[in-house]
Amino acid sequence: MSEPVAVLGVGQTTYKRRHPESSAADLIWAAAEEALADAGLGIDAVDVIIAGVAPDALAGENCVEKTAIFGTGKPFLRVNTGGVTGSSTAFAGASYVASGRARAALVVSLERMGQASTSQRVFNTIFDPVYEKDFPLTTITMAALRASMLMRVYGYSERDWAEIAARNYRHALRNPLAHLHLEVTPEDVLDSPLLAWPIHRLEACPMSEGACALVLGGRDLAAGRNAAWIQGMASTSDSYAMGDRIRRPEGSLVDLLSLQRSAVRAYADAGVSDPRKEFGVVELYSPFSSAEAMTYPALGFCAPLDGPRFIQEQQEDPSLPVFNPSGGPQAANPVSATAMVRIAECALQVRGLAGDRQVADVRRAVATGQGGATQFSTVCVLGTQTP
Amino acid sequence: MTELVSIPGHWDFDYTYFAGEAASRFFAELRNTRVMGATCPDCRRVLVPARSFCDACFQRTTDWVEVGPEGTLETFTIITAAFPGLPEPPIVMAYVTLDGADTALVNLVLGLDLSDIGAAAAGLQRQPRVRVQYGPEPQGRITDFAFVLA
Ligand SMILES: [Zn+2]
Repeated sequence: MSEPVAVLGVGQTTYKRRHPESSAADLIWAAAEEALADAGLGIDAVDVIIAGVAPDALAGENCVEKTAIFGTGKPFLRVNTGGVTGSSTAFAGASYVASGRARAALVVSLERMGQASTSQRVFNTIFDPVYEKDFPLTTITMAALRASMLMRVYGYSERDWAEIAARNYRHALRNPLAHLHLEVTPEDVLDSPLLAWPIHRLEACPMSEGACALVLGGRDLAAGRNAAWIQGMASTSDSYAMGDRIRRPEGSLVDLLSLQRSAVRAYADAGVSDPRKEFGVVELYSPFSSAEAMTYPALGFCAPLDGPRFIQEQQEDPSLPVFNPSGGPQAANPVSATAMVRIAECALQVRGLAGDRQVADVRRAVATGQGGATQFSTVCVLGTQTP
Repeated sequence: MTELVSIPGHWDFDYTYFAGEAASRFFAELRNTRVMGATCPDCRRVLVPARSFCDACFQRTTDWVEVGPEGTLETFTIITAAFPGLPEPPIVMAYVTLDGADTALVNLVLGLDLSDIGAAAAGLQRQPRVRVQYGPEPQGRITDFAFVLA
């Protein structure tokens, strides 16, 4: 990166099943207005606006962002990379600032799936129409196909998934923006209905909608502002075909090669060598608890076979980072926005503005994004120090 | 307080998906009850289902080879909840690597005893051998076959 880039402002709506009080444009507006106010900047200070929205069919509107293209007369882009849309959108804005083509970028991501009554049917259309669409592939079954492989290969149990879910719900109780505020024990998770073995209802994310926006700027705008610096960011793709990754020697379907490669690059740029000690907070794009467990080795927190033990270690070792202090996607999953929410939450933690969910003395945090059957993964390291 | 308005909407569009040459040949072979893979000249992987290029090597695939009809179940899920627009549960869906292939393909597994989901799952976690079983009238579609225990 040439020019260092900072998050100067964060705006988020609440996340919930439906926002019947707001049009799509209202939601984008609310997030953008709050982010600009947080940055202390007006729309005229922004040189580019980038919107992130994943499948249009979830909203039932094509280019749902179109009615909220404000501050006309600027370059505008839309990004869609599935679940990783939010972080791809943030990275696109950061690239404008890093290259010197914008002093400030406004990036906003919107999920409007509260307008859909059959979201899993819509999700079936994201798969290949030639070889895959005739099968009941959905976001849930895709996660289940991996969860069963994780159990077989790395020894996870359904109890492990339940522990992760219960912790995420517990953290969400401190996050007023979260969709779900539930007091849930691991037993409650295991007792909830089975959706697709081994995934239970309370291990799956809710269907949420809402919007998230960030204002990104360089060194001159960061001066005198409460900035969270992007110390490293990397985005890596993988083969579309899940079946091609099952026996792949360099990393199987449950080894998240794209996330691992993004982590290596982002950590190198940020100067992170020991992720267990150098992060105060980890915000994961993990709509299922099994998906969260898959990230631990990819992000360098443990060896693959030590994953189940690492779930226990998190409860016992206070020197480890806090995982998903916001509650993560299991407590709110506005799909198109979720990966940007992870960056937003890390920025709030680094800036000391995370309210009741604030973790003490966060000097550095890491946010992930994953989309398209983890065909895309992003890692973003944020910190108090200018890179 | 203004009464909030919500407006009903419905998307109902028809499409025709164009499978391309490689998949069309794969489907033609399927009507002859042969599952085919295409070989990448660089990494030598036999890619199943067959496709025109290897995305890992950025190479066009060359030799076509028949794979299966038996193979190893790699990973699976048992769908137990009903979702609008999807078939009635319980359904077993799995990735299977057919003998001679380097990649796995997804399809349904039929004929399993699903009266005890936990027991069925435990059995599938042992990666049983399975084989391709064709339906009565192949249409040249991926749904012409399913997997059954070998
Ligand atoms: Zn190849």
